[in-house]
Order: sequence, then C-alpha cells, then structure tokens
Amino acid sequence: MSLSVSENQLIAASIKGDRQALSNLVEIHSPKIYNLALRIMRNAEDAEDVLQETFVIMINKLKSFSGNSSLYTWLYRIATNVALGNLREKKRGSEVSLNDGEFETLKGSEIEWPEHLKDEILNDEFHECLKKALKELPENYRTVFVLRDLEGLSTKEAAEVLKISQANLKVRLMRARLYLRDQLAFNFNCVER
Amino acid sequence: MNKQIHAHGDIVKQIQEQLGRDIDADIIESVSQHMQECPDCKIYIDSVRETVQLYKVIESDQSMPKDVRERLFKTLELKKV
Repeated sequence: MSLSVSENQLIAASIKGDRQALSNLVEIHSPKIYNLALRIMRNAEDAEDVLQETFVIMINKLKSFSGNSSLYTWLYRIATNVALGNLREKKRGSEVSLNDGEFETLKGSEIEWPEHLKDEILNDEFHECLKKALKELPENYRTVFVLRDLEGLSTKEAAEVLKISQANLKVRLMRARLYLRDQLAFNFNCVER
Repeated sequence: MNKQIHAHGDIVKQIQEQLGRDIDADIIESVSQHMQECPDCKIYIDSVRETVQLYKVIESDQSMPKDVRERLFKTLELKKV
C-alpha cells in the first residue's frame, strides 16, 4: 500500500469522525508545518500559534479538501496564509525597506565577496548574523525566499501559494537574495557603507 | 584575498531570476556561455548561490519540541499517537 493511499484512508476516516485517524494526520504533518512556520515567523512562540491555527483550520475544513493536491500542499497553503496574516497584524518595526531605489543600488553595487565564507558555517556569531539578516527582510520578501529557496517550491508553486504572479515572485526573490548576499559580505567588512 | 563582484545588466538579471530548480534550458545555455567569457559574472552568480546554500544549512529542519507537540494535541482535543 502506498503512502498516499494510506493518507487518503486516514483523511476519509477523519472526515467520518475517527479521532485516532485525525491524530495520525496531525502527527505526520505537524513537524514540517512547525518548521515552515518557524522559517517565516522567526520566533518560536509565533510559530506555535501558526501551527495550532493551521491544524484547527484543517480539522474544521477537512471535508472541503478536494484531494487535487496532496494534504501537505493544502496544509502548506493554509499555514503560509495564517503566517502572513499574523505577520501583517504585527507589522514588526525591525524590518528594513527594500523599495525600488534601494533595489537599484543593490542591483548595481559592486561588493567584495570573501573566499572561504562557507568555512564560517560553524561559527555561532556568523549564524546570528545570517539569522538577523533574514529576520530583517520584509515579510513579503522573506516568505518568497523561504518558500522558494529553503522549502524548495518551484516558482509556479510558490506564486500559487502566495497568490502573486510568477514575475512578481521572481523580482522579490532576486531582491531578497541580493539583500542577504550583501548582508553576508557586509558582516565580513567587505563593503564600505 | 577578496574577489570583485560586478552586475552585468540583463544576463545577471536572468541569472538572479532563474537560479533554481525550475531554470529554463535555454537560459542555462546562454548563462554558461556568458560565464565562460566573464569571470566577474561567475563570481557574482557563485556568491548568490553560496548565500542560498549557507541559509539552507542554518535553516535545516529542527525537531518540534515536546511541549509544543503536547500543547498542539491539547488544543485540538486529540490523543497523542
């Protein structure tokens, strides 16, 4: 029996009211959804809120799950939307702004890229610099980077989840990558600001 | 020793936009041809790729804490598996 058939059986049983089947679905998918939420929210407490809201919605709307996509893809969309909604409510002040002017600077800038940068991956301070840069990205850029580069969604899939055009997604991804790359270089005192 | 990185108009934009698993074959061809002739662009694309790779390492999956799992099942009024 394939995993997808087994999951379909769990879904069917859950819809009929089988609480054990529902528990199994939560058990299977909650770790990945938690990690997705952490990557978007950048905060364990907020990620837990997203996790709980996602599965509350799953339980309430499981009957409407069409089966056209996998359950995980469906949950993924729910979790991303919940996370984005929560972030917009919070409107964190620590984010940088990447407007068009700054984007032009990023696009045309010359920076010096340190060799052997990846050797720093075991350095805690370097980790913190990387995480800080990602946290500072505005959520609409960060989410694109998370879905596309960290979660491995294709441009088409990520655009569908975020309900934006593929062209828009590519622009946001380009800005996010450039910002993060420049922050890495900056943190190694390779650029003058 | 550090390397200089420059932006090179459309080709760089294509690289930035297309870098990833859904990269188009024609773009790959044009990019690789250009990169053979332009070491600065190679450094440019390598730096972006290295940035993404570093983030993949530090953002790798972590275990969901037990207390988070317990609160989730409690909120959903489900028994743990």
